Amino acid sequence: MTIQDVVREASFGEVGLSADECLKCNVCNTVCPVMRVTDLFPGPKYVGPQAQRFRLATTLPPQGPTTPRLTSPDATVDYCSGCGMCTTACPADVKIAEMNNRARASLRAGHPPKLRDWLLGQTDLVGRLGVATAPLANWSLHNRLFRWVVELVVGIHRKAPLPFFARQTLRSALKADRRGAIGRGAVATTEPPPDKAVVLFHGCAANYYEPHVAMAAIDVLRRNGYETIVPEQVCCGLPRISNGLYESARGRARKNVGSLADYARRGYRIVGTSTSCTHTLKAEYREMLDLDDDDATAVASATWDICEFLVDLHEDGRLDTRFGRLDATLPYHAPCQLRGHGIGLPALDLFALVPGLDAVDLDHDCCGVAGTYGLKKEKYDIAMAVGEPLFRKIRESAAPVAACDSETCRWQIAQATATPVKHPIEILAEAYAAGDRPEVQDQPALRR
Amino acid sequence: MPRADVLVVGAGLAGLTAAIGLADAGAAVEVVARGHAATHWTSGGFDIAAPSGSATSSEGIDHLARRRGHPYAFLRRQVPGALDWLRHTLAGEGLDYAGAIDDPLRAVPSAIGGTRRAAILPTAQAAALAPWQAGERLVVCGPAGFKDFWPDAIVASLRRAAVWAGGDASDNRPARIDAVLVELPGLAGLRNLNALDLARLFDDPRWRGDAFEQMARAIERAGAHRGAGRIAFPAVLGLQDHAAAFDDASRVLPQALFEVPLVSPSIPGLRLYNALRAALRRRGGRMVIGEPVASVAVEGQRVRSVSMTAAVRERVIRTNGLVLATGGIAGGGLVGLADGRLVDPILDLPVEAPPPEQWLADDAFDPAGHPLEAAGIRTDGEMRPVDASGSVVLENVVVVGSTLAGQHYLSERCGDGVAIASGQRAAATLGAAKSGAAADPPRGDIAAPPAARRQRAGVRR
Repeated sequence: MTIQDVVREASFGEVGLSADECLKCNVCNTVCPVMRVTDLFPGPKYVGPQAQRFRLATTLPPQGPTTPRLTSPDATVDYCSGCGMCTTACPADVKIAEMNNRARASLRAGHPPKLRDWLLGQTDLVGRLGVATAPLANWSLHNRLFRWVVELVVGIHRKAPLPFFARQTLRSALKADRRGAIGRGAVATTEPPPDKAVVLFHGCAANYYEPHVAMAAIDVLRRNGYETIVPEQVCCGLPRISNGLYESARGRARKNVGSLADYARRGYRIVGTSTSCTHTLKAEYREMLDLDDDDATAVASATWDICEFLVDLHEDGRLDTRFGRLDATLPYHAPCQLRGHGIGLPALDLFALVPGLDAVDLDHDCCGVAGTYGLKKEKYDIAMAVGEPLFRKIRESAAPVAACDSETCRWQIAQATATPVKHPIEILAEAYAAGDRPEVQDQPALRR
Repeated sequence: MPRADVLVVGAGLAGLTAAIGLADAGAAVEVVARGHAATHWTSGGFDIAAPSGSATSSEGIDHLARRRGHPYAFLRRQVPGALDWLRHTLAGEGLDYAGAIDDPLRAVPSAIGGTRRAAILPTAQAAALAPWQAGERLVVCGPAGFKDFWPDAIVASLRRAAVWAGGDASDNRPARIDAVLVELPGLAGLRNLNALDLARLFDDPRWRGDAFEQMARAIERAGAHRGAGRIAFPAVLGLQDHAAAFDDASRVLPQALFEVPLVSPSIPGLRLYNALRAALRRRGGRMVIGEPVASVAVEGQRVRSVSMTAAVRERVIRTNGLVLATGGIAGGGLVGLADGRLVDPILDLPVEAPPPEQWLADDAFDPAGHPLEAAGIRTDGEMRPVDASGSVVLENVVVVGSTLAGQHYLSERCGDGVAIASGQRAAATLGAAKSGAAADPPRGDIAAPPAARRQRAGVRR
C-alpha cells in the first residue's frame, strides 16, 4: 500500500477529495434542515469539508501507512440525516452529504453495530418475518405498550411511523397472478423484447408493505404497452448504507447487480417505484460502495424512476394520455432523494396531464424521516420538527389525499398529518381508471 | 424532452432578474443552477455605481458609461427603470429598500469596523444612510458569544476618522461610538452561534421580544441610551418574519437600529434570494438547484437544447432561448485553464481576458481594480454575445451580470446595477424573440409539452 493509497482511502476517494473545493461559504448550512431545528448538529460544513481536513491529516506520517481506518474528529456527524440538500446547494460541487455518510460509517467501523442500527438495516429480513406473521406483527407494531418496550430495548421511537405489513408479499402475489388468481396478466412469464417490457425493481417497500404501489405501476406500464419482468432481487442496501453497514450493503448490491446486469446489457430498462432504491442503484453503489465495475455501471445506466420513465415515454409521444378527470387539489412533496436523481420533478409533469388535477408543489426540503433517521429514539423529535412546515401546509390544504414518491416519506407525512399519502403512480392509475368509466358522474375525485 | 421557452443558467441576482422579467412577459422560464449563488455571499444592498470621485450612483453610472467597453455604455438608461421595477417586484414579496440613485453615496459601517459606500439598502440597513447630526452617537451592539461580530474591535476601528473618509463629506461621522455586548436569552451552552441560528431565533416573536428588552437594558446600563443616536447590530433580525422583527426592534429600542451585513451566509442576501425566488414562482417560473449544465446543443447560431448532469443520464431540456447568468470567476462562470486561457465552460463563448501574467497582480484589492475583474464576455446592446469583430455569435443567447466584460464590479461597485439592468434588457430581448419566432412543433402527438404546460397551468407554492 502506497501513501497515496492510504490518503485516498482515508479521504473516501473522490468524495472526500472534493473537500478541497470548499470555499467555506456556508451555503450548505443555509439549506440544512437538521441544523435549522436542532442545536445538536453543527451543520454540514463543520462536520463535512471542515472536519475532512483532520480526517486526512491523521493518516499522514508519523502515523504511517498502517494507521487504521479513521474516525471523524466530530461525532456530531451522526446527526446528519443524509437528506443531501447540502450537496445540491453547494456552488463548488463538494460532495458534502456523501462525505458525511462515509464519516458516519467510519465512526462505526470496528465496532459491532448497535442492535437498533443493525435491525433498521435488515429491511428484507424484517419484511419477511413481518409478512409471515402479519396480523400479529401489525398489531404489535401499532400497540402502544409494545412500542414503548421496543423504544426502551431497541431504541426505535415509540411514535415513529412504521408501516403495516402486507398479508402477502408482492412476489408471492405475482406468482399467484401467473396462475390467474389476480387476473392482471401483466407480469411476463416469457420474456418479451426490451421495447415491450421493463424490469421492475420493487424494493422492500413494495414487496413487504405496499404491493398495491407496484401493482399500480404494473397496470400503468401494461397500459402503455410494457409488460413487467420481476427478476430475483434483494434489498437495494440503502438502509444498510444509512446505518453504516457498508460491507453487508455491498453484499446486497453485488447480488442485485448480478441479477440485473444481464437485463441491462440486453437493453431492458430497470424501473422502480421507490426513488430511494432507484437512486441507490443509480448512484450510491458507485459513490458509497465503490462498486464501479462494468456490471454495476450497466445497471446504473439502465435504471429509471417510474415517473422519469413515463415522462420519457411522453416526450416520445408514446404515453397513453387518456386520463379521466380527477377534480382535486393534490399537495405534492418531492422527496429529498428525488433531488439526487437530477431529473427535475417528473411526477408534476405527469399530474399536469390529468384533467382537473391541481397538483401543488409543497416546496419543502425534507419531511424529516430521511429513510430510517426519524425512526430513531434520539432523532424522532428532530425529524418531526424538520417536517413540521410541510405537515402544516398539508393540514391547512385540507386535501383528502397527498402525494409523494418515496415510501418512508409517505409514512412519515401520513402519520404526522392524518392524511393518506399516495405514490404518484397510484394517482395516475386512478386517472386512467376514471377515463375508462367516464359515464360515472359523481365519483369521488380522489379515493382516500 | 421537457422544454422551456427560455432556460436561465445561474440563480444569482442577474439570472433571477432576467427570469422574473421573462415570466412577467408570459414566457415559460426554467432556472437551473449548479448550486446557490452570490446572493448568499453579499450584503443584500444594491451597489449601482460608486467609482471614486462620484457623489451619487447616477454620477457613478455616467462616469462608468464613459469608460471604454463598460456595460453601462449601453445600459446607462436602463438602470433607473430596471431598479424601480425590481424594487416594486421585491416589495410585492415583502422586501423593501430605501434610497435612490440620486441620493448621496454615504459611508456605512461594516462588520470589520470599516465603511463602504452605499445609497440603496434594504429598510433594515437604511438608518445607516442618514447624515450624522451634531452630537449624535453610534452604539455598536452585538450578542455575546457570536464570533462574526465583535463590537469592541469594530468600535476601535470606527473611532479612527480616516475610516469614514470616502463618504460624501469625510468629516461626517458619529460624535461618539460605544460598544455594547448583550447577553441574549437562552443562548448559554449552545453550540457555536452563527448568523443563521440567530436569524431563526429572531423569527420567533416571543424570543425576540425578550431579546430586544435585553438589548435595551444593556444599552441603558452602558449609559449609551441618552441623546440622539443609532444602533448598529449584526444583520440577523429574522429570515421568514424579518419585517415584523425589524418593526419590533424599532418599537422597543431607544434609538434607530440598522443591520450590519456579515460574512457569508449573509442573512440579508438570503432574504433577497428568497424574495426573488418567490416572485419567480408566483409568476409560474420553475427553478432547479443542484443540476449543473453538462452540454448545450447548438444548431447554426441557435441553442436548441441544454443537457443537465444527473445521477446517471443527462436531463435534456429543449429551449428557444438561453440566459447565461453564471457569474464571473468567483461564481464559476469564467474558468481559468492551466494553458492561460479564461473560458466560459457552458457555451465556450469568446472571453475577453487579460494575459495570464496579469492574473496574479500584487494587490487583489487595488482601488484601481484587478485586471481580471474586467474579464468576461462582450455583447451587443441586446445582450447577445459577440466575437472580437462585433458579430453576434449566438442569436438566442443573452449574457447578463458579472459574466459581462468591461466592468470592475468590486472596485467600481457596479455589480448589482449591471446585474439588474442587463437582466431586464436580456428579458426584453428574449421576450421579443419568443413572441416573434414560432416555437418548434412538439414531437409526436403531444398536445403540449409537460414543462411548458405546467407553467401555464400555474403550479402554485
